[in-house]
Amino acid sequence: MNNLTLTFTANDFMLMLQGAGITFVLTIVSGFFGSLIGFIIGWGRSLGLWWLYYLLGLFIEVVRSVPLIIQFVLFNSFLAIAGYPIDPFTSGIITLSIYIAAYVAEVVKAGIDAVPPTMVKAARGLGMSYFQCFRFVVVPIGTRSVLPSWTGLMLGLMKDTSLIAVLGASPPELLRSSQIIITRIQEPLAILIGAGAFYFIMCHFITVAVQRYETSWASKGKVTA
Amino acid sequence: MIKIEGVRKSFGALEVLKGIDLTVERGEVLCLIGGSGSGKSTLLMCINALEGIDAGRVEVDGIDVHAPQTEKNKLRQKMGIVFQQFNAFPHLTARDNVALAPRRVLGQNKVETLELAEHHLAHVGLGDKLDHFPSELSGGQQQRLAIARALAMKPDYMLLDEVTSALDPELVGEVLDTLRLLAEEGITMIAVTHEIPFAREVADRVAFFHQGVIHEVGPAKSLISNPQMERTQEFLGKIL
Repeated sequence: MNNLTLTFTANDFMLMLQGAGITFVLTIVSGFFGSLIGFIIGWGRSLGLWWLYYLLGLFIEVVRSVPLIIQFVLFNSFLAIAGYPIDPFTSGIITLSIYIAAYVAEVVKAGIDAVPPTMVKAARGLGMSYFQCFRFVVVPIGTRSVLPSWTGLMLGLMKDTSLIAVLGASPPELLRSSQIIITRIQEPLAILIGAGAFYFIMCHFITVAVQRYETSWASKGKVTA
Repeated sequence: MIKIEGVRKSFGALEVLKGIDLTVERGEVLCLIGGSGSGKSTLLMCINALEGIDAGRVEVDGIDVHAPQTEKNKLRQKMGIVFQQFNAFPHLTARDNVALAPRRVLGQNKVETLELAEHHLAHVGLGDKLDHFPSELSGGQQQRLAIARALAMKPDYMLLDEVTSALDPELVGEVLDTLRLLAEEGITMIAVTHEIPFAREVADRVAFFHQGVIHEVGPAKSLISNPQMERTQEFLGKIL
């Protein structure tokens, strides 16, 4: 019955809310795995092994140059052709994770480079091993200097999740669910404003969460390096 | 005892150390003087293996520093190093800066290392700055923090690389005072310095570097007031 009405109903709202939830989960899950992979790649590029540096650099260039929407389709088709079809959500999350990992890797590399070499020498001079120095000096200092860039990546990722629609993943994420409603009730302006508000609220949530974290550091010492 | 024999070191085509021989006894204070780029700072890094060497041998208490099987992390624990840039860890309070290495490297327990840190900070006159972050400290205070941090590892040797060069003139004194204190306590020190009056007062011996070679080594007072080599006379004439 609802599907036949031409006005915005409570069910439509629930559909958008569900879409927002999907978008949020997509962002958090692929943001987590993407950051993890990106951290490893960025760290690998900082090791000073030229072949590893260029190999990982090639990966980053390819992933950053090919439009995400093409990557979604290619990866999904590739799995199907290879005989391992998986559901569009999983395939979408893997693609998003790899995609954002390429960007995170560059941020991580920048963070590691932001730590002055003499700071590292001072730490090693105290007898710290490479890993102790990395864990207790390089990571904390580097993280503080690149956290804002990382947050920007995560907000971009949230908006990029809408491209997963090309895989026909169901239930739909926020933008797709909005389009479904628009097609029926022909009120694009109002619905898109609503969808935009949902995106804003979620992005704002992430921004505030990170800012809180940063403030807890600011009281614990600024990084001027 | 530190024994340096025929040490050579190049960065690319540039030979920075051209065969250095030097011996430092326990309890001795040795100052390295000479113009910029003469290889003094590089030699310090070669002593605790922060830099490798191309030829020669560095021995600390009988251990060949640059031998592949030498545990360099362990070796560095007994050789504190302080740099021109203070390198205080910006994300940690003064207390945590000092406590970090004893806790993580030596595996001492947390309470113990915090007390140790308080003790060493008080020693360098920062007893009232325990909870301050480096950004809240002056250059001189940050440098004293770096000294306390090195001392907390209970090193047998201190390597000091132009520790007053980055300081405003009015802050140099407080850092030199701290070093005088260490010298009186009998810690073996090798200090690269441009503070010639300080070298004359505190050092037992002075070595003059010029273009990767030691031109003259001798007792501090006599070398500075009465240098034998022409290069040394020229250098001291310009700087004093």
